[in-house]
Amino acid sequence: MTVLSTDVLVIGGGATGTGVAWDAALRGFDVILVDRADLAEGTSGRFHGLLHSGGRYAVKDPHAAEECIAENVILRKVAADCIEDTGGFFVTTPFDDPAYADRFAEGCQATGVPCEEIDPAQALREEPLLHPGISRVFRVPDGNIEVWKMVGAMARGAQQRGARVLTYHGVIAIHRDGDEVTGARVRDERTGEETDVEARVTVNAAGAWAGHVAEMAGIEGVRILPGRGIMIAMNHRLVNTVINRCTMPSDGDIIVPIRTVSVIGTTDVHTEDPDDHTVHQNEVDAMLDEGERLVPGFRQARALRVWTGVRPLFEDSKAADTDSRDVTRSHALLDHAQRDGVARFVTMTGGKLTTYRLMAQDTVDDVCRILGEQRACTTAAVPLPGSEDGEPYKLGDRLARKEEHLRDDQLICECELIPRTRLEDAMRRRGTHNLDDIRRELRLGMGPCQGGFCIYRATGILHGLDGMTGEQANGALLHFLQERWKGTWPILYGDQLRQARLDDWIFQGVLDVGHLPS
Amino acid sequence: MSPRAAALHFDTVVIGAGTAGLTAATRLAEGGARVCVLAKGIGSTHLAPGTVDVLGYAPDRVEEPARALSELVAARPDHPYALMGVESVAPALQWFAGRIADGPQPGYRYVGDLERNHLLPTAVGVLRPSALVPETMAEGDMRTREPVCIVGTRSLRDFHASLCAANLETAGIAARAIEVELELDRADVNSLGLARRFDDPEFRAAFAAQLAPHLHGDERVGLPAVLGVRDPHGAWADLQRRLGRGIFEIGTLPPSVPGMRAFEALRTALRSAGGRLILGAEVIGAEREGGRISAVRAHAAGHDVRYHARWFVLATGGFASGAIALGSDWITRETVLGLPLRGAPAPGDPRFVGEYLAEQPMARVGVAVDGALRAEGAENVLVAGASLPGAVPWQEGSGEGIALSSGHRAAEVVLAEGAGVRAAV
Repeated sequence: MTVLSTDVLVIGGGATGTGVAWDAALRGFDVILVDRADLAEGTSGRFHGLLHSGGRYAVKDPHAAEECIAENVILRKVAADCIEDTGGFFVTTPFDDPAYADRFAEGCQATGVPCEEIDPAQALREEPLLHPGISRVFRVPDGNIEVWKMVGAMARGAQQRGARVLTYHGVIAIHRDGDEVTGARVRDERTGEETDVEARVTVNAAGAWAGHVAEMAGIEGVRILPGRGIMIAMNHRLVNTVINRCTMPSDGDIIVPIRTVSVIGTTDVHTEDPDDHTVHQNEVDAMLDEGERLVPGFRQARALRVWTGVRPLFEDSKAADTDSRDVTRSHALLDHAQRDGVARFVTMTGGKLTTYRLMAQDTVDDVCRILGEQRACTTAAVPLPGSEDGEPYKLGDRLARKEEHLRDDQLICECELIPRTRLEDAMRRRGTHNLDDIRRELRLGMGPCQGGFCIYRATGILHGLDGMTGEQANGALLHFLQERWKGTWPILYGDQLRQARLDDWIFQGVLDVGHLPS
Repeated sequence: MSPRAAALHFDTVVIGAGTAGLTAATRLAEGGARVCVLAKGIGSTHLAPGTVDVLGYAPDRVEEPARALSELVAARPDHPYALMGVESVAPALQWFAGRIADGPQPGYRYVGDLERNHLLPTAVGVLRPSALVPETMAEGDMRTREPVCIVGTRSLRDFHASLCAANLETAGIAARAIEVELELDRADVNSLGLARRFDDPEFRAAFAAQLAPHLHGDERVGLPAVLGVRDPHGAWADLQRRLGRGIFEIGTLPPSVPGMRAFEALRTALRSAGGRLILGAEVIGAEREGGRISAVRAHAAGHDVRYHARWFVLATGGFASGAIALGSDWITRETVLGLPLRGAPAPGDPRFVGEYLAEQPMARVGVAVDGALRAEGAENVLVAGASLPGAVPWQEGSGEGIALSSGHRAAEVVLAEGAGVRAAV
C-alpha cells in the first residue's frame, strides 16, 4: 500500500476544503486534499450561484450579514475572474408584507450592507420582466460566483505550491493513535487501490457528510442537519440582476442570473440522508409558482434543469427539529481536542459559500495553533490563479474569445461556446474518463440542448485522444447521458421536452446508443 | 378572422412536411387530388439517417421484419402498424423506392425489403437494423464479415471514425479507423457543407488519391454520409472505382445528407404530380362544421390564409416537432387542431422515469384515431407518422416505416373516398 505523509490532510473538496488547502498551501504547509468524488461535486456545486451581499440575512441573522458583506468585498478582489458583478435587487411584490421593507433597510444599515432604495420604475427599466406591481426596490451588491471555476483555481494554486489533490478518493478509515488522529486511509473509487495518508493535522471539511467523517474518528454527536433545497435553471437570463423577494427568507424567493441561465431557488426540507437528491413534484410546482410572482410568464420560459443541494447546517445542541432555516447560517469550528479529547483533528462545518474563505482562514488559524506555528493568513490579499488582473468576469468573455478563433477552431458545444482546443486541453490535463468532470470545468453540455450535440462529439474526441477502449468511451457517453437526464426528466415540459425528444432522436435514433456493445 | 383574408380551396390539405406528410401528399397528387402541404418547417427527413427502419427491435434485434411485424401487431393491437394493417407496409416501401429511383439524383436508389433487415453501423458503431437503405449505405451491411476501414476527418466534428471502428471491433468485425486531413478553408464544416464538396469530381479525386495508399487488401471503406447532394450515386460510384473497393456511408449527427436527398426526391415527385408545398406556413387555427374541419388558417409571410379542403392529413409529428406538447400544468395537448390524445399517463402518474434508456411513460402519446387513421372528433382528418399513438419509434427502430406506411395509407383512404376524381371538385 502507498503511504503518503503531509502536514495537513483535508477531507472534502468543496469550497471549504479546497479553500483550506489553498490557505494552508499559501502559509507554506504541505497539504493533501481528498474527496470521494470530483471537486465541488457536493453542496458547493449544487447551489444557485449567489455571491451574497448579506441583504438576505440583514434582518434575521445580522452576524451572518456582516460576514457576508465583508467576504463579498474580499472575493471580488481575489476571485475576480469567478465573479460577475450583476448587482442585486430586493423587491417588494404585491404578495409580500409591505412592512418588511423598512425593517430590511434598517437591517442593512445596521450590518453595513450597502443598500440604496430606488424607484420601482427605474428597476423595471433595468429589469423589464419583473412583476410590474413591485412597490419598493433596494439595490445591493449581490453577484454571482462560478463555483467550479473558483474551486478549480484554488486547487490549481495549491498544487502549484506543492499540494496534492486526490479526487475520487473516499475516506474509508480515520487512523488514531491513542487520543490523536494521525491521518486516514483512502480508496481510489475508480481503481479500488488504497492509500494511507499520514498527517500532522486532519481537517474534516466534509460539509453535510462531516458527521460521518467524525464518526469514523470515533467522535459522536457532530450533528449536521442536512437541509435539502431544490433549484431550477431556466434557459436564458430572464433577469440580469439578482432578484430577491424583500421578505423573510422563504421558498423560491431568489432568481440568480449566472452564465447563460437564471436559477430560481430554493426550498428547505429536512432530510436524514445528504445523498438523497429526490426532486418532489410539489417542490417543482412551488418554484414555478414563486417564479411567476417575480417574473410573470415564468412558467412559459424553458426550464432546463433541476437539482438539489444539501445545506450542512450544524446543530450542536439538542434543539428540536424545526425549519432548518432557523439554525444559524454561521459556521462552526470544532476542535475535537477540547470537545472530545481527540487531538489533531478539526471539523469545519456549517456556513455558506460566500463565507468559505473566512471558514478556511479560521480553520487554518486553528491548524497553526495545534502545530504551534505562527503563520499569517494571506487569502484576503493573494488573488487566485486567473484572477491576478482583478477584472471581474463578464458575460461576453467566452464569445469574445471564441470570435478571435472563428476560422481556426471548431466549436464543440454551441450552447456554452466551447472550442475544440479548449476541450482537448482540459481532457489531457484532467486525464479523466468522466465527461462530467469536464462538464464542471468547462460547462460542457449545460446549455439549452443539454448535450444533444456535444456529448457525441466530446466522446469521439475523448476516445481519439486518450487511446481509451470502446467500452470505456461507451461508458463515458452513457454515464453523461444518464447524468443529464437525471436533472432533466422531473421538469420536462414545453420547449425543453421538445428539445429532449430531439436529443433522443439523435442518441436513440441516429446513434442507437441503447444498443452499444458491452 | 378578417373577411378580407385570402382563402384557397383544395381537395386535401396535408399539415407537415416530414416523411409521412410528403408521402401522403405526393401519393394523393399522383392519384389526381388537388393537394397542398402546409408546414411550419422542414421535418423529420433532415434529422433521421435516411434509412427506412420498419422494425428493428421487438425488443430483441429483428432479422426478419415481415415476420416480426405480424407478431408485433398480434401482441399490440394499439400499435400504428396494427391500426393501419401490416399489409400496408410493403406497398408503401415499394412506392417510396420508386420515387427515389425516379427522383432528381440520377441513378440513386434504395435497396432492401421486408424479408431481411440490413445491419448498418451508426456513427458510434452500433449495428442498426434497417429494412430499406440507400445503395450508398448498403455495402456497410455487417451481416457480411469482410474487414472495414472507417475513414473520418477532423474537419467534421459530427463523425468520429475511431469510436465507430472500436465498437465494430467489439461486435466482432475486423475494423480500423483512419483520419484524413482535408484542405478546407475553415476549421469546421457540417455534413451538408462537406457533401457539397463531394459533388465536385476534383475534390473526390484528391480525396481518393490521399486515402488510397492507406487502405489494405480487401477491406471495405466506411465514410460519413456526405457523398454528395446533387449526384450521390455518381459520387459514390466514382469513389468506388477510384479506390477499387466497396464503400459505404454512415449516418452523422443532423443535418442528415441522405435525408435531404429523400426530401428532395419526394418534393420533386409532389411538384411533378401537381401538388403544392408551402414551407413556413404554420397552421394556427381551424374552422369546424359539426364533426368536420372545414378549413385551417395558416400564418405565413406576415398574413393569414384560410385553406378549405374536404380532407386534412395531420402529419405534424410528436413532441419533437411541437405538434404534441406537455404544459407546465402537466397536461398534454395536440397543438395544431386541438384533437384528443391517447396514451398519456393519468394525472399524478409518472410522466418520465429516471433511467434514461428505459421506455418513458410519455413515449406512446399520440392523436386518438380509429382503424382507418381517422382522428377522434374530426371525421375528415387522417393522422399519419409520429402523431400516431402507440409506438416508441426510436426504441423500436420503426419511425420511417410508420411514417411511410401511414402516410401512404392515409392517401389511399382519401383516394378511396373519391377525392382524387377531379370532376367531382
